[in-house]
Amino acid sequence: MSRYAILIKGIAKENPVFVLALGLCPALAVSSLVSNALGMGLATTLVLIGTNTVISILRNVIPDKVRIPCYIVLIAGLVSIVQMLVQAFVYPLYLALGIFLPLITVNCIVFARAELFAKKNKPFDSIIDAIGTGLGFTAALVAIATVREVLGHGSWFGIPIPGLAENSISLFSMAPGGFIAFGLIIAVISKISKGRAAKLKESGCASCPSCAACGKGGAE
Amino acid sequence: MNPVTVSYAPHIHNHASTSHIMRDVLIALSPALAGSVLIFGMRAAVVIFMCVASAVVFEWGYQKIMKKQETISDLSACVTGLLLAFNLPVDIPLWQAVFGSGVAIILVKQFFGGIGKNFANPALTARVVMLISFPTAMSTWAEVPNAVSSATPLELVQTGALQYMPSNLDLFLGLHGGSLGETSELALIIGGVYLIARRVITWHIPVSFIGTVYILTAILGEQPTVQLLAGGLFIGAIFMATDYPTSPQTNSGRLIFGLGCGLLTVIIRVWGNYPEGVSFAILFMNCIVPFINKLTMHHALGGKKA
Amino acid sequence: MKKIKGLHAPHCKNTAEMVPVAIPTPAVVTLPMKMHAGKPAIPVVKVGDQVKVGQLVGEADGRISAPVHSSVSGTVKSIDEIDGLIGEKRKSIVIASDGEQAVYEGLTPPIVTNLEEFLDAVHASGVVGLGGAGYPTAHKLTVKESVQLDYIIINGAECEPYITSDTRAMVDDADNVFEGALLLKEYLKPKKIVIGIENNKPEAIKEMRERMATVDGMEVCELPARYPQGERKVLVYNVTGRIVPEGGRLTDVGCIVINCTTVAVFAHYIKTGMPLVSRVVTVDGSAVNTPKNVIAPLGTPIGELFDFCGGLKDDVKKIIMGGPMMGAAVPNTDLPVLKITNAILAISEKDVEASKPTACIKCGRCTAKCPMRLMPSHIEDAFELKNIDLLKKYKVNMCAECSCCAFLCPARRPLSQVMVLSKKMLWEAK
Repeated sequence: MSRYAILIKGIAKENPVFVLALGLCPALAVSSLVSNALGMGLATTLVLIGTNTVISILRNVIPDKVRIPCYIVLIAGLVSIVQMLVQAFVYPLYLALGIFLPLITVNCIVFARAELFAKKNKPFDSIIDAIGTGLGFTAALVAIATVREVLGHGSWFGIPIPGLAENSISLFSMAPGGFIAFGLIIAVISKISKGRAAKLKESGCASCPSCAACGKGGAE
Repeated sequence: MNPVTVSYAPHIHNHASTSHIMRDVLIALSPALAGSVLIFGMRAAVVIFMCVASAVVFEWGYQKIMKKQETISDLSACVTGLLLAFNLPVDIPLWQAVFGSGVAIILVKQFFGGIGKNFANPALTARVVMLISFPTAMSTWAEVPNAVSSATPLELVQTGALQYMPSNLDLFLGLHGGSLGETSELALIIGGVYLIARRVITWHIPVSFIGTVYILTAILGEQPTVQLLAGGLFIGAIFMATDYPTSPQTNSGRLIFGLGCGLLTVIIRVWGNYPEGVSFAILFMNCIVPFINKLTMHHALGGKKA
Repeated sequence: MKKIKGLHAPHCKNTAEMVPVAIPTPAVVTLPMKMHAGKPAIPVVKVGDQVKVGQLVGEADGRISAPVHSSVSGTVKSIDEIDGLIGEKRKSIVIASDGEQAVYEGLTPPIVTNLEEFLDAVHASGVVGLGGAGYPTAHKLTVKESVQLDYIIINGAECEPYITSDTRAMVDDADNVFEGALLLKEYLKPKKIVIGIENNKPEAIKEMRERMATVDGMEVCELPARYPQGERKVLVYNVTGRIVPEGGRLTDVGCIVINCTTVAVFAHYIKTGMPLVSRVVTVDGSAVNTPKNVIAPLGTPIGELFDFCGGLKDDVKKIIMGGPMMGAAVPNTDLPVLKITNAILAISEKDVEASKPTACIKCGRCTAKCPMRLMPSHIEDAFELKNIDLLKKYKVNMCAECSCCAFLCPARRPLSQVMVLSKKMLWEAK
């Protein structure tokens, strides 16, 4: 696979939020404002680049049996670094993201990329993959946040939109609105792509977190 | 001889149909419709028209776009629109009413598969969505001629401003603040009696719902008559909780359902933040209807225990 | 005891006052060898044989079968597989009538002195459950020694709309019904004989009451005129309060249900020796010009019955053998009158229910009115999922096929059809 394909794949075809349905917790929790969504997306991208690089470099060193604890330690360390950086340089964002910033540690996307890609590929490819996936995550967050902020707050990136600001639908700035916006966007994507977007082809079925529930038994 | 039709038995039918049922519901709602226009004036008619028309347009449009069979002729969208309008204050901005219709028809009804497949009452869900989205508009009540205060009686109870409380007769006739269709218990009871007489609904849900509220509020030392007549209890118990897809199919299940609705309503009214709890109670009970159905499954006559 | 109320179906008993009239002897009769439940009869005549009215043409194959007798005098034209009522081929004897209706000389009343001879006589009369089920009566009356027979219930409910042939049997043939009941009392020795009649047949109730009142242990039970009072389990429950267990027979609760016309037919045979060769058929429906009750030889094409009743109107759209709730719609009028044919109906186009099914709105009407207390809408879901376990759990095997659910369904779901298909699915999965 060409490096360009790796990059594009993470953004569109295997978009972590809209297609793989991973990392939904931060996607729904911090997407009420576009600025928060962008910050969260970029922080996650940073962590992804770091973990993918390190895990890819160490892929032959980490014993297979204890790889999950090793990944967690590595990811947690990198998340702590990113957290401190955010706290130091963008303090308002640090306050807005709250608990969801340290929670990147257990974000499925970071794990999935480590497990599905960095484990088996060279460092440079892994970095490309991390950038692609990170951008896909950021784009998805911004998309959800755009719907929610425009409808819920009547503004975009903090800029009030005339006419909407006075008539906001505050449901969208609350948790249920996150679910509704997310569901609507997935429905539209699925309708436009005629259901093809949701079909997994390249990422393995066996490593899927819902393997036990879906019943296909790891058959690819 | 002409070619004849061959089909499976039965070859006769009692001529009931979904559209007849919905027509009966519309007829049953018409006294409340007349009442709301009498009490709140022409603006009420405008809100009702907007809700009904937009509900029908949303249903038609969705089915056109998604290339599904059109079902607007079964009148269920009209019923949903009318019930939603009855849950709104008279001064609601019209775009918000249309938004509510959209939520009810598209989000709650069509996304789950159309008529018969929705798990929650569309009109009630839309009302709750609007209550959360537009808290100010949804709790600003217009002045009603003859009434001392524009607040709803239940708000008066919650704030303790009992000196403005209308008389029980005014409560019963609907001469007080509140949503369009909920205020006049007289009109709603006429509709309810019509529905029961036409066998569209059974007595189980309304009686157990209203009965539970009456008995519980009496036990808890509230004023049971005011609790009965003040809020949206009657429209909820007669028209909302009895919605077919979102209520149990067996009579015993319906009794349990009404009991649960009554219990939750009292809990929310007495201890909750909101003055009115009927819609939340019904929505919550809607969610557990599958379990009630399972619990109250009919035991076949002579059937062995499986 | 809470009785099974059933539902209100239109009665349409237009022909209740009409004394049955015999139709002219048909030119040709077709006698299928299987007009009953169980094994088909075996033909005992050859092509070209001369037969007379009442002569045995098909011999019963064992006890769960019934003999067939010629209904006309004439010549056997052919013995072939002919299209039957429900799309299957059935071996049938076709007899060309000579119009004389000469009675077979060998007919003598059987000697009946004990239970065995009584059952043999019932078997030889060719009588089967004439209400529509067609179960061989002799076998039904053969109960195990261990069974304590408490009730014999004579079914005069006739809950199906339009049909009045049982009503006429209880009025015109009241003596035979009564004598048959006496025979049942004498040989089967039940504690009680009850005749259940819906209260929309006052004349039949009066006739039966007059006779039954003279004997101890016999009574008339008036039933509400609501469908399906004549369903056997419903009848047992409403008369005795007993519930037939799943998979069990009526004799498990000490009951036998037998149709009133059936009783009259074997009483007539034991008295005169004339077996079942003709029956009363109600000809009715909106596309029939002059509805009547007619006496038709078995095997008469139903078209001749319609012709006798003034012919069919031009807008006929549906022809039904049996009642409108449980009968079968048939594609043409060539089919013969069978032992179980209690009515033939022709329905005009304007009265045919042809609306398309819409989505189930979960109103619960089918569940509320099912006489067996099943949940048809749940069963339909399970059927569409092809979920055998759920079908078992919902007890679709206990469905009486009364069609109440489909009659009531506001969404016009084909529930009764789904019930039968589900039963088949369950049967095949075993």
